[in-house]
Amino acid sequence: MADYSTEGELTESVRVLRDEVLDTVEHGDRDPPGAEVFDALLRALSIGGESVPGLDLALHDAVSRRLAWGDTEEALLADAELVFDRLMIAVERAFRDPTDQMVVVEAATLVAVTVARVVSLAAVARASRDRAARLREELAQRQLHDVLGKQKQVISRLETDTDFSDLSDDQG
Amino acid sequence: MSTRQTGAVPTVTPLRIAGDTHVGKVRENNEDSLVVDPAIGLLAVFDGMGGANAGDIASQTARDFVRTFVTARRGTLAPKPLLEGAILGACAAVYEAGMRQKELHGMGTTAVACLVVDSKHVVIGHVGDSRAYLLRGGRLQALTKDHTIVEELVQRGLLNAEEAERHPYKNILSRNLGSRPDTRVDLLELTLEAGDRLLLCSDGLYGYASAEAIQYILGSGDAPEHVARDLIELALRGGGGDNVTTIIVEAAAPARTSTQVVRTSGATAWWQMRGRFMQAAKERGLAGNPIVRGLPPDEALELVGSSLCQAVFHDLEKSTGVNVWTFAQNLAGGWFEQGGDWGSVRGMIDILGMSARTVVEEIRVQDASLGFLLDVAVSRALVVAELALGGLLAERLRKMDTDLIEISTALHETLDGGMTAGSGAAGRRGEIDAPAASDSQDGEGGGQFVDRATIPFMRLERAVTSSDVSVDLLDAIKKTITIASARLPPRGSDLVKQILGSVESIATEGSGNFATAVLAARELYGTRSVDESGVMPLFDALEQARVLVASSVQQIQTTDANRARCLRAVSSAHQRLVGATTGLVLEAVAPISEKLREAQAVTSELRSQVATAERRRADLERRFATTIDPSAPWGSRGSTEW
Repeated sequence: MADYSTEGELTESVRVLRDEVLDTVEHGDRDPPGAEVFDALLRALSIGGESVPGLDLALHDAVSRRLAWGDTEEALLADAELVFDRLMIAVERAFRDPTDQMVVVEAATLVAVTVARVVSLAAVARASRDRAARLREELAQRQLHDVLGKQKQVISRLETDTDFSDLSDDQG
Repeated sequence: MSTRQTGAVPTVTPLRIAGDTHVGKVRENNEDSLVVDPAIGLLAVFDGMGGANAGDIASQTARDFVRTFVTARRGTLAPKPLLEGAILGACAAVYEAGMRQKELHGMGTTAVACLVVDSKHVVIGHVGDSRAYLLRGGRLQALTKDHTIVEELVQRGLLNAEEAERHPYKNILSRNLGSRPDTRVDLLELTLEAGDRLLLCSDGLYGYASAEAIQYILGSGDAPEHVARDLIELALRGGGGDNVTTIIVEAAAPARTSTQVVRTSGATAWWQMRGRFMQAAKERGLAGNPIVRGLPPDEALELVGSSLCQAVFHDLEKSTGVNVWTFAQNLAGGWFEQGGDWGSVRGMIDILGMSARTVVEEIRVQDASLGFLLDVAVSRALVVAELALGGLLAERLRKMDTDLIEISTALHETLDGGMTAGSGAAGRRGEIDAPAASDSQDGEGGGQFVDRATIPFMRLERAVTSSDVSVDLLDAIKKTITIASARLPPRGSDLVKQILGSVESIATEGSGNFATAVLAARELYGTRSVDESGVMPLFDALEQARVLVASSVQQIQTTDANRARCLRAVSSAHQRLVGATTGLVLEAVAPISEKLREAQAVTSELRSQVATAERRRADLERRFATTIDPSAPWGSRGSTEW
């Protein structure tokens, strides 16, 4: 493959690898797992790796959507790792110029770190929500314990009274 | 092997000039070049960049062009256009040389040059991040602003100084000679005053030495050739991760420098007041300090007070700090060896410090200017003592750190041993895929780490480099990491350094790197709080390491193909480490969700118990009411209270 003179040309050449890297044949019309990672890579290449915040936001959006649909963070990371690995193989084969290879590898590593950061942020945010929810659960438990304590006292008194009544009844 | 080159030391004009350069401790080539040519009044530093020896070619091309240009036109052009024309011409010359040979394509160099107009006037021109400093009245000030992306963002108010210091792109130049046919040169005309010192240097100096230390050495009063050499020594002691070049220009000396005053009159005045110092120390209770407990008071005073007094005297006399440093080390070192506490050392140093200040105040009353200079010098001596103590404490912490690492390593080896003994390396995959079976065999303890794949999404069979990896590639990986480590700032980058070390281990290990990556991630993760402030610094450091590695790989001397292979291997290793680290974040988060689920289960159980109790209460109440008076209506059969 030729030495790409512009970022646009290089991005288009990586886009060609999409089917191979994402194994789209397996998944038909649906978005294959890891598509968000591959799209982020194309974005990173087209902006020349200069704008991390933009990449962050777009990935955050995509990751949140997958988590909302019920995918786990582990699944997201597994997909990202698979995309990275397949890309490394595809890049070595498809790009003859070492400089082009290096540009793509560098962008792929940037995306890998960004995915990890976004997933970690999501996990940490979930942990924070879970901590708050646990506090609420513990408060509810304290109230339920109080109610249960009072119920037991009443039941105990009623059992005594009922036994006594049964006894008087029997004697009568 | 010493690769130092020394520039000529001129004897013309009232200016004293000297220059020196050194390859540093990490690089193999010196890509810096310098000109020290008093005959044409030209001094310049060039710091080249570009792979395959292109850096030194760029800096030498620029150096030769500037020197030839200035020699040819010194008498015909005014100083400012002369210097500007020389630097712009050098830019075009480097660019053309790069265009002529493919392997030199993209090479470039920085330049900071000083053209001496006469004994009081100079013109300074610069492009890139080599710097010019002026020492005037003992204060160091930068004359140039770096042409880096980050510095320009600071100039535009988009970054503050602190953010700039930590910015991953702080070394990326916005201007240089050679990447384009022309550039813009910043020029400055300066009028020198008696005693001024100018310093021209490459980033190998200020990147590895603090501004305070540079100011201290530049203001030492030593001859320029010694100062140039001492500054290089300073950078080498700070790590020497880059080529380092210094040029010193000293304007005609004033009658007497402050250093000379302190060396003679100050030292004498101090020594004459030693009796007063001892008395002040005695009054402040030196003899009662636990360090000298058991000694007769006079002996204690003599042993500690007199020793410090002598140390300060010798340091004042020689403008050094070595005597006070040694005193503080001996005092605290021996005490710590016996298991002594920090508080006693602190107390002793405070007594000595306050006694010294008492003496200086009394000298100031007699001679205000000498007292002022002595105040500065004695304060410096006390700071040196504090630094020596800090060094001792750091040494103790390092020893403790080493012990902990050894314990941790021994623990991991034990665990790994257990893993291999359990089912062999080949069976590792199966072990992790079938945790239940392994659990039953290994029982508790060492087997736990092996049997539970804590980072389940990481695939074990994945190779970063193949087992038949070439020596060239391994060498390239090591060089890349060495360069990246050397480019770290001296302070506050331990985490990034640790990451770089881990990446190297993973990348050079070949296929069996799963355990290495997980263990490295565990070391990195340490004990962090599971929130944004605990976890995000880790990812910031991983990103910083990524940027460093990507730029450092460009600097290694190898073929483009090998460089690409090296980047692939290092990036794969980095990605593996990032994956393992994220896995640990998920692992840390998991118990929090688990506890929530447990709490929800407990709440649910409690609700169920309350419902059961409520049914039982209602049942008992009905029975009770029926027994008491079956004919009465439900409402009047008795009541229970909640």
